[in-house]
Amino acid sequence: MDPFAVLGLEETADDATVRTAYLQALRSAPPDRDPEGFRRIRAAYEALRDAESRLDLRLFGPAPLDDLATLLEVFPEERRHVGPDLWLAVLREARR
Amino acid sequence: MSKPRKQQGGNKGVQLAAGPETWRTRIEALLAKGKSRDAVDIAKQYLKHAPGVEAEALAVRAYAARIAALQASGMHREAQALGALVSERFPAHQAQMAALMQQSDVATGNFESLLASLLHADPQRRRDIEAMLARRLTDPALLAASPALPPDHPLKRAAGVASDLFTAVTSGPLPPGALAALDVIARQSPLAPWKLLIRALEAFYRGADDAVLANLAAIPADSVPGRLVPVLRRLVEGDDPSAARAVAVTTLIEQVSGRRPALQTQLTQLSNALAARDERRALAAVQALLVLLRSAPVAVRRTFVASVLHHWHRHNFSPQPLLRLLPSMKHDPDILRLLALTVERRAWDEAVELWEKYVHAATRAGILPAKGPEMARVLLHMANLFPADPDEVLDTLGVDSEQELRQYIRASDMPMCFDRAALLERALKADPTPSVFRALVDHYDRRGEAKRAEVEAEAWHQAHAHDLEPLLYLIRAAERRGAVRKALNLLAAAEALDRVHPEVRQSRFRLLLTGAERRIKEGKAALALEDLEQLAQEPRTSEGDHRVYVLALSWVAAQQRADATATAHYEQLLSTTAANPVLQSLVLEAIGTALKVQLPRTPLAAASPEQTLAGLARACDLFRALDRPLAVPTTLYKQVEPHLQQASAAQLHSLCAGGLWMQRPALTYRASGYGLALHDPLAYRFLLARGRALSTALHHDAPERARLCLRAARELASRVRDMEAVREASEALATIPSWGLLEAMITGTLSPPEEEALTQEDIARIIEDERQSRTTPQFPAVSSIRKRRQGSTRRQRRQRRMFDDLFSMLPFKDLF
Repeated sequence: MDPFAVLGLEETADDATVRTAYLQALRSAPPDRDPEGFRRIRAAYEALRDAESRLDLRLFGPAPLDDLATLLEVFPEERRHVGPDLWLAVLREARR
Repeated sequence: MSKPRKQQGGNKGVQLAAGPETWRTRIEALLAKGKSRDAVDIAKQYLKHAPGVEAEALAVRAYAARIAALQASGMHREAQALGALVSERFPAHQAQMAALMQQSDVATGNFESLLASLLHADPQRRRDIEAMLARRLTDPALLAASPALPPDHPLKRAAGVASDLFTAVTSGPLPPGALAALDVIARQSPLAPWKLLIRALEAFYRGADDAVLANLAAIPADSVPGRLVPVLRRLVEGDDPSAARAVAVTTLIEQVSGRRPALQTQLTQLSNALAARDERRALAAVQALLVLLRSAPVAVRRTFVASVLHHWHRHNFSPQPLLRLLPSMKHDPDILRLLALTVERRAWDEAVELWEKYVHAATRAGILPAKGPEMARVLLHMANLFPADPDEVLDTLGVDSEQELRQYIRASDMPMCFDRAALLERALKADPTPSVFRALVDHYDRRGEAKRAEVEAEAWHQAHAHDLEPLLYLIRAAERRGAVRKALNLLAAAEALDRVHPEVRQSRFRLLLTGAERRIKEGKAALALEDLEQLAQEPRTSEGDHRVYVLALSWVAAQQRADATATAHYEQLLSTTAANPVLQSLVLEAIGTALKVQLPRTPLAAASPEQTLAGLARACDLFRALDRPLAVPTTLYKQVEPHLQQASAAQLHSLCAGGLWMQRPALTYRASGYGLALHDPLAYRFLLARGRALSTALHHDAPERARLCLRAARELASRVRDMEAVREASEALATIPSWGLLEAMITGTLSPPEEEALTQEDIARIIEDERQSRTTPQFPAVSSIRKRRQGSTRRQRRQRRMFDDLFSMLPFKDLF
């Protein structure tokens, strides 16, 4: 997966922005709770930590995904609070 | 009342004059068959024909059945309307109708009459009402707000708690301990399923999926909250994209889970379509995914496009329909870049052309500066796509020579980007970094344009004065063309930069030695002696017998200079240092031959067999280390052979290696035989030497013996981690024709049979067999010379353009 996408960065990000995004991403995937997520975030940070690597990625990346489902990795599972109405609508629709 | 309609078969045959029994029988038969509508029609006729209590009762039964049928099919409002009419027409049956209407009220969300009856219901009726509430109450807020129940009614209070917590849990994280309020809802309460649902939702938002599933499992399937059980399970366990769902369920899952479920669905469909090679379905999925990813970060969209292009190319699908879906390449040159990256995995020439188009488009769009590291990196990348073998480049482009290629480019019959040197020159103009210089020097060097390569290396040195690499190249280049003095001057500059660099450290000894030899050859003995004096101070001179060689050169130079004192001095030193007349003689003989200098012969006969053996072994090591030719007289071999049995393991190793170095495989063969007899721990080295010697022998079984020796040597070397010996054995094995491979080629099998690993017993047997093989096989007098492979006379350009049609549709005609 494209390291820019993993850390949610724009291509113009500088060293400091990359580090900030890395530290922020780590909070969502600490190594003890989500080792796989941590490995992915760490690899992305390693690939982006210097300007030359970022240039190479910008010009010659991203590597294509053999397994398209990998794209879902950057869309973390969400559980949004949407209020009671949508839940109640399911109950009402099921009654009909 | 029901609308008038044509009389149907249901009431045919009932005579108006028939008796009450006939009417009743007929109506009850229709009710029994579930034909409530026909029953109502007949009952109405009966009532009209013979009004009375019995006919009225029958009519009310028929109406009640009809109302129940409407309720069963979810037509509660119609049932309510009919019930109201029946109540008005038959006031005596209002109570019966009221009970029926209550169900429709509940079904339409009106619980008031039901709740009102709850206040005065007997226990059985109470249980019925509560069961109905559990099955019908779609929102506890209705119960909580009902005016039918007093404010302090336990059910009303419990409903209030359930309603508030349901709203809270679906709207945001609950404060700690909030769920304790649910304790007011008893297990037998009609609100108990709501209590479980609220707990499941709280666990869901907390991420405690086990607790979610445990609570869901306890919710009765026929209760209203039970309808959310499968939905929550989907949210927790992952959605099945193929499952049919109601609109409200789809909306809820999408809103709660974000884009992920929809993406998952479409990605699965795309993967399935690709696997089935169904281009149409794949396109539809790509289209849907592009919409879903519209608001995703740029990097995600780019990864998706790169991946789709990759799969499209791999499946050899037509690119045009896909490209029509993607953003216009004119407005987004990045698509061209991704296309180039996709194509370069299979066809470098097409990729180079696409990259060139990207460079033009991106420069024009202002996303790639015309100068600077980015442009240099792209151009260098394009140059690196060319195959290393120049013949392969010409083959692919379908031209016979570099000259022809340049002619085509000049005539615009081929794009400029196929001139690799020009690409590198452009990269240099964009950003003259060491990597670009390195590529340029390497390019000219590989193509034999030594002068041009030196010019570029010189420019590199000027541009990056602290870079050692161009200096090392210039030293090697100067040495290659015999400019030893210039090489030494450059070496001084290199030493100033990095004295401990391995190549710098090795170069001074090598250059001074070459310089001294060259000066002797040119008759400049005094200058040669100066070099040799410097050389005497070099650390490498102390290694092995290097000093013997340096002193021998000094003696030759002193002789050349007719300096008797110096000659005597060096002769004395040489004799003492060599301490072996055979070594001394071989060194002087070799120098005389190489430098074409006449030298007095040293009588070899004066040496003992031990001295002869040691002298030859040391000479082998010395000349191999200095990379100088060693010529050994045949008489000397004859003197050595009878005494090989007395040689030490080290001497035998030297002779084995020296034999191969001097292309005297017979010497290697014999020395390795004695070496194997010594039971030396480095026996694998003797096996390796023997295998290499045997691989050149003319005897019919020599290749097979060579193969066995080399395999055994490789196995033993790998056990002691001597990877250098493993590599040598593997390389030697690769040069021996394999019958297995030949057979595989003849029989058309896919691969030769795999050789089984040698066991310890196999290796012991191979060593023993070689020890017993005393007869030296016949070896060729001169080693065969490798013939240069001749290229084809006319190269045909390979037809492998997967994206051939692409070029015709690129919207860049105006750019070129």
